[in-house]
Amino acid sequence: MKTVIKTSDLSKVYTNIAVPVHALKNVNLEFREGEFTAIVGPSGSGKTTFLNVIGGLDKPTDGHVVIDGVDIATMKESKLFDFRLRHIGFVFQAYNLIPVLTAVENVSFIMLLQNQPKKEMERRAKEMLEQVGLSDKLDVRPSKLSGGQQQRVAVARALASRPDFVLADEPTANLDTESAFNLLDIMARLNKEENITLIFSTHDQRVIDRARRVITLVDGAVDKDEHFERD
Amino acid sequence: MSIKRVLILAWRNIWRNKRRSLITMSSVLFAVLLAIFFYSLEKGTYDRMIDNMVRFSTGYIQIQDVLYDDEPSMDHSMLVDDHITGLLDEYDDMIDVYVPRIQHFALAASGPVTRGSMVMGIDPGKEARLNDLSDRITAGDFIKPRDNDIVVAEGLANILRADVGDSLVLLGQGFQGITAAGIYRIKGIIHLNIPEMNSTTIYMSLDAAQWFYGADDRVTCLIVMPKNAGHTHRLAGRLREGIDSEWYRVLTWDEMLADLLVLMQFDIAGTMVLLLILYIVIAFGLFGTMLTMLLERRKEFAMLMSLGMKRYQLAAICFTESIFLSLTGALAGIITALPVILYLHYFPIELGGNLAIAMEDYGFEAILPIAADPSIFLSQALIVLMIAMVIGLYPVYSVHRLDIMSAKQ
Repeated sequence: MKTVIKTSDLSKVYTNIAVPVHALKNVNLEFREGEFTAIVGPSGSGKTTFLNVIGGLDKPTDGHVVIDGVDIATMKESKLFDFRLRHIGFVFQAYNLIPVLTAVENVSFIMLLQNQPKKEMERRAKEMLEQVGLSDKLDVRPSKLSGGQQQRVAVARALASRPDFVLADEPTANLDTESAFNLLDIMARLNKEENITLIFSTHDQRVIDRARRVITLVDGAVDKDEHFERD
Repeated sequence: MSIKRVLILAWRNIWRNKRRSLITMSSVLFAVLLAIFFYSLEKGTYDRMIDNMVRFSTGYIQIQDVLYDDEPSMDHSMLVDDHITGLLDEYDDMIDVYVPRIQHFALAASGPVTRGSMVMGIDPGKEARLNDLSDRITAGDFIKPRDNDIVVAEGLANILRADVGDSLVLLGQGFQGITAAGIYRIKGIIHLNIPEMNSTTIYMSLDAAQWFYGADDRVTCLIVMPKNAGHTHRLAGRLREGIDSEWYRVLTWDEMLADLLVLMQFDIAGTMVLLLILYIVIAFGLFGTMLTMLLERRKEFAMLMSLGMKRYQLAAICFTESIFLSLTGALAGIITALPVILYLHYFPIELGGNLAIAMEDYGFEAILPIAADPSIFLSQALIVLMIAMVIGLYPVYSVHRLDIMSAKQ
């Protein structure tokens, strides 16, 4: 399987506070196509920073993040916007749907930014909403959806444009058990069916139990990198 | 992302917080409504004043003796010779009518009261094409050509305590130093809208005035009315080219009413300052809304940029929201103002009592005329649009400086 992301000597130091914080320390990791990875660790271990840096939202202090043969650590902001749009899907903890758009419009949004043809965009958005079990909520705005439903729309949005990989920052943190399991089932199924690489940062044991790879960060460094066989 | 999408997103965004948007739009609505009302009232008042002055006093264009404007004496009256009539005939297609007048001072006395007055020697037939003098008679009748009687303005008649049938003694200086003196019977009393004219004017036929001032065949001015008032300056320019400038002078209404226009501009400037204050208040209201909106949506902006939305796309949405908010308010203001302005234009408020007296003392008609000029509506919409564009630059600036990481937190 081809390597989707490769980090080498990745470091991030926050210096804009009284005492500099080393959020990431020489992280060397490779993620392969179709992996379902959970990044775990205690609060402040650097999980979110790691996702932000490999997602091109934050710049590393040192090291490289190579995606599809391109080092995004040195990329200019304007190029980075385009790169994120074409290659990376995001699922946030707080769903972060666009409140003025319906479910189908939210799912289409990234494809809209990519200037995809309207018909194809609509077809794909409906297909994704069907995949996440929301085919009856196409024209419903986020405020009329439950938390679990909103997060399913967010997952559909992240996957609809077929990115190289999806970064999910604690996606189940705000969900009840049933909704969380439901979401994980959907993501695991889409991971298999669409062969999309999923990388979660999480505290949630329910996520960890489904992941085929679990990377533990402690104080910004990789403590463990474990692989599991799952169904 | 297409412009249509930007418009849809911006439109939907402004309705996310309905109450706030409605309050902002209402403030714009009232500002535009007030601005349109004040400006229409001011323009209406001055338009009416100018219209009255032009129709009853100056006309759009005057041909005078070259020295008359600087020294208005009968010695600087003029003969309407073939050269002038030939020139006017040449531009027949642009000229509606030209009217001869003698317009000169005289003392008017009735019993023990004497008052300075302005004698208007007119051709009643031609004058009727300029104004509706004969319809303004409040007592008696209007003069006819070759009449030897006079019509006195109501205010002057009151001052002189004279009425129809009474006689006035007129005394003045005529052509080439002769003493102009005569007794004239009052045939009618006329009400003139311009308070200054209403308290000084005496109308007599042109023939009678020429006899009174000893100025046979002479006039002090020839009033030229263009067929289209908008062509006044073009016509005046052509007349200037054709006329013998050593002897004659062509003046347009704005040159003759220069003092009034300066006063008007000064007054309009005062209103502009008031409107400016009004718009500054509106600008701060809009700015406050924008500021709150930006603070509320920082996380959302960070999310959108994380997903791949470019800064300029986000800035375009915010900018459009500002334009939508203010233009919707401005449009609502214009729609609200339109029936009010139109009603008051056709049925202006007539003032009464002390207020009317005070207005007339200031030289204004005791009426509140409202101009229904589309340019006023358009200019207010443009001003609001400009304010919105300036305010809309702040979110653009803010989005361009937004740090995704700090906004996410």
